[in-house]
Amino acid sequence: MKKENKIWFWSISILVLVLLTWIVINAANPNSNGSTVVTDQEWSKGSPDALVTLIEYSDFQCPACATYYQMINKLADEMGDEVLVIYRHYPLASIHPQAELAAQAAEAAGQQGAFWDMHDKLFEEQHAWSNQSDAKDIFIGYAEELNLDIAKFKSDIANSDIKDAVKDDRKSGDKALIEGTPTLFLNGEKINNPRSYDKLRQAVKDELSKIQ
Amino acid sequence: MTNLDKPLKTSSQKYNKLIYIFTAISLLGFLDAIYLTTSHYTGHITCSVISGCQEVLVSQYSEIFGIPLALLGAAYYLFILINSLLYIDNQNKYSKLVLSYIPIFGFLFSIYLIYLMFFVIEALCQYCLLSAGTSTLLFILGIILIKKK
Repeated sequence: MKKENKIWFWSISILVLVLLTWIVINAANPNSNGSTVVTDQEWSKGSPDALVTLIEYSDFQCPACATYYQMINKLADEMGDEVLVIYRHYPLASIHPQAELAAQAAEAAGQQGAFWDMHDKLFEEQHAWSNQSDAKDIFIGYAEELNLDIAKFKSDIANSDIKDAVKDDRKSGDKALIEGTPTLFLNGEKINNPRSYDKLRQAVKDELSKIQ
Repeated sequence: MTNLDKPLKTSSQKYNKLIYIFTAISLLGFLDAIYLTTSHYTGHITCSVISGCQEVLVSQYSEIFGIPLALLGAAYYLFILINSLLYIDNQNKYSKLVLSYIPIFGFLFSIYLIYLMFFVIEALCQYCLLSAGTSTLLFILGIILIKKK
């Protein structure tokens, strides 16, 4: 190669490499600041007067969500005065065929004041129902274990308002540009999924000290 | 003259093609590894169409002495990429040696990682499989390069 050509060759190579690397890093780490407005009709835990709100978009059939729910429950138990935890459905129906039905089951249980009980049950028993082609009977079984009114539960799970409630959550998640589950928002700001409970608690504490 | 010239030309042309394939594959491997490294640090790949990556990327096997394997993979692919570019530039024999033999280690390491994914972590991550694919291709290209000597 001539000297002049060499300079061109290396400059273009390096430029292309840096550009592609930058594109890939951005694709892997989208920074959306989807503002997340909390309404009265949310499934929440902790104090409504808390300074920090943690919104979780989750999918009952997602294995990672089943790992995170324990962390988030623990957070609500330990820091319930300082943080309000909100659960929103984001069922990834294309890869989790039972996820929408599971969300409807939780909503239906919610009609009888047992949303969080059903939420815990669904995550605890995820492996038992996630490979079923139709998990409805299993969910009815959980409703029985939770002493719910089964006739009401059965009609609620297929109710169009319940289905819409799940769809609305999903839409709000799309608006917030979330790409997978679980996705966490701390006071409206999307955070990287903490790798441990301690890191989650630290993120909440950092947010608290920012405000106070 | 023509008889002597022709085979020489074609062999060097083939050689060139091989180097360009090296460049393309190592670039693909590098970008894939960068994607995995970013995902490792942000914990972003959870349950999406690429399910399974979360389990693999945050498993205890995803780091060696606190360095993510994905980052080591990126360094490996970058090394191969730079050597392919150097070879295109000045045909030096050291780069050729690197391109011939280093992918063997990359390939062996990939086999170990595939073993971990299938039998130890029991979760599959498409991006990690892609990396195994690119390192296998580099290995095959390296063998071709050795045979051509």
